[in-house]
Amino acid sequence: MGQFIQYMINGVISGSLLALIALGIVAVFKATKVVNFAHGHLILFGAYFYFTFSVVLPEAAFMPGWVSSWEPAWLLAYAGDAPMFSPRAAIASWVSDLPRILLGLVGALAANAVLALIIERLVMRPLLGQSAFAMILSTVGLIWVLEGSAGLIWTAEAEQVPALGPNFPIRFQLFDQNLFLFSGSLVNLLVALLLFATLMLVLRYTRSGVAIRATAEDQSTAYAMGINVPKVFSTAWLVASTTGAVAGAILASRNGLSPAIGLFGLSVLAVVLMGGLDSFAGVLIASMLVGILSSMAQWKLGGGVAEIVPYVAVLVVILIRPHGFMGQEEIERI
Amino acid sequence: MITGHFKTDYSADEGIWSIWPKRWGLVAALIALAVFPFMASNYALLLAGQIGIFIVAVVGLNVLIGYTGLMSLGHGAFFAVGAYTTVAIHHEWPLTFPLITLVISTVVAAAFGVLFGLPSLRVKGLYLAVATLSANFIILFLIEQDWLAEWTGGVRGTETPNAVFFGYELVSQQAKYFFIMPVMVIMLLFAQNLFRTRFGRALIAIRDKDYSAEILGIALFSHKLKSFAISAAYCGAAGSLWAYFFPAILPEDFGLNMSITLVVCLVAGGMGRTLGPIFGTILILLVPELLKVVAGYVTGGDATAQTWVSPVRDILFGLMIIGFLIFEPMGLVNIWDRFWRFLSRWPFAK
Repeated sequence: MGQFIQYMINGVISGSLLALIALGIVAVFKATKVVNFAHGHLILFGAYFYFTFSVVLPEAAFMPGWVSSWEPAWLLAYAGDAPMFSPRAAIASWVSDLPRILLGLVGALAANAVLALIIERLVMRPLLGQSAFAMILSTVGLIWVLEGSAGLIWTAEAEQVPALGPNFPIRFQLFDQNLFLFSGSLVNLLVALLLFATLMLVLRYTRSGVAIRATAEDQSTAYAMGINVPKVFSTAWLVASTTGAVAGAILASRNGLSPAIGLFGLSVLAVVLMGGLDSFAGVLIASMLVGILSSMAQWKLGGGVAEIVPYVAVLVVILIRPHGFMGQEEIERI
Repeated sequence: MITGHFKTDYSADEGIWSIWPKRWGLVAALIALAVFPFMASNYALLLAGQIGIFIVAVVGLNVLIGYTGLMSLGHGAFFAVGAYTTVAIHHEWPLTFPLITLVISTVVAAAFGVLFGLPSLRVKGLYLAVATLSANFIILFLIEQDWLAEWTGGVRGTETPNAVFFGYELVSQQAKYFFIMPVMVIMLLFAQNLFRTRFGRALIAIRDKDYSAEILGIALFSHKLKSFAISAAYCGAAGSLWAYFFPAILPEDFGLNMSITLVVCLVAGGMGRTLGPIFGTILILLVPELLKVVAGYVTGGDATAQTWVSPVRDILFGLMIIGFLIFEPMGLVNIWDRFWRFLSRWPFAK
């Protein structure tokens, strides 16, 4: 039972990360009807930008010393001689990393936003009105462009980046079982769910949110009603790239920075289809389900099986419900 | 000046080689194919063999995507099934006649095609693309399993046999070339003929609008499944040739990369035409080689500069996909058509 809960917790944590990534794919699909196969590589760029702004830049000669490691007197006093892995030491080292984490996040968000705008303007806009097939394939082409560019700009080594939150093990007891999780994962979970909730609220209550929903409903009618549809498209790409940047930062701090992050995006695509392409709620459910199933598979069947869980799950779900859990059924006219 | 192709009866209309440029073009191409191995270097033959194998696979994919309108991002899996079936057959009976192996591999791949075509009735378009993509991952996962490792070699891959015809082992590139090319030509002719039959026309009707086709009395499910089977069979044959052609195979050879390369060859060449896959495959497989030559020339063979060749190749590959979709969505075959149209009407119209 204890083991079960432990893996359940792990599953929920990785599920929340899946949801954060899936968010970007759904946002772009809702607004533009394009399924972004290259979202994983957008995330990869976010991760690399985070690395650049939080590791490479602070260590540059022209940056003041406090950026790379901020050590005011009160912080040193607080850390004192706390033992390694204690919450106090972890928080102290996190606070001393805080300037570069913030710099990294802001830089990654901004750089990724610019990248997404360029992609939207140069690749997706000229394809407006083309078949879905052409749109999908052009994002597939983007995979190679982004991967190659990343290989040119950054060397493809696994690098370490600072985590978003203080990282120390938390131990607690439930049903007489010892359970434990890292506080860093907890922070990631909170960040992911917070972003997800914020976006839902924005979509529901703000002007641009309503514009996105109207465009999702019917592009030409939205256009006729005075909604700036091309602007909605760029907004959607902005949402995808910025949430992607955060996801990239989290992924990089969790598993190390490597080009494999890009491939992770593809398994998220399976999750998105499982939930239904145009439903945030369905995708959240699917992410949690896949997260938990993967972590259970890892527990019972080993890591290799866990990797293909999303693919098997999506096949099963699509066969039973062709449009995913909560996706809207397309109505075809003959 | 050609003003039109005048046909006086149905059989002339149905003929594949209806006009003299096509007839003589075919003869010229066959002669070129036959003469090429005696003039080319080993390296050129290696490339030619690879292109020939890919053409078989892309023509098969064309049956599915180009003629039936079903999207697939998982045909690398059928390629893998073909290749590994060949390896497994030679593992059990080392001296099987290569053509028999080829046929068995093709049939096994077709069976897998039917299996993974099953979702195609329920789902279409993007959902089918992701379903096939999932199938690709799952098949590769199975191949990598330990309990199949005796036949497949598992994650570490396996060595592949050479084809042996009546005691003569095909070892040199030239000999392999003469095994691949006839198979390629026969399969091309089969594909070209397929779309003159009732069945082929039914597939085209499904592509244009599946519900309308159903109303016209075409059984959607069986036709879609057969289309899947045929395209998988082509990929299986290509995989079998691949196993004979290369000394060893790895599961990751047949991953998403290959599946997408196949689709890209098709898009670059032009869908729904038999010439399209040929042009597309030649272009897509030759560009990296060209880039290697250019890079060698620019850097003067500097070894450190070689590190950026692979990323640049990736970027170029991606840009080619996007460029074709934006500027020439009908593919190379459209340029070819325009050229001939221009010639036949010159000097009167463009």
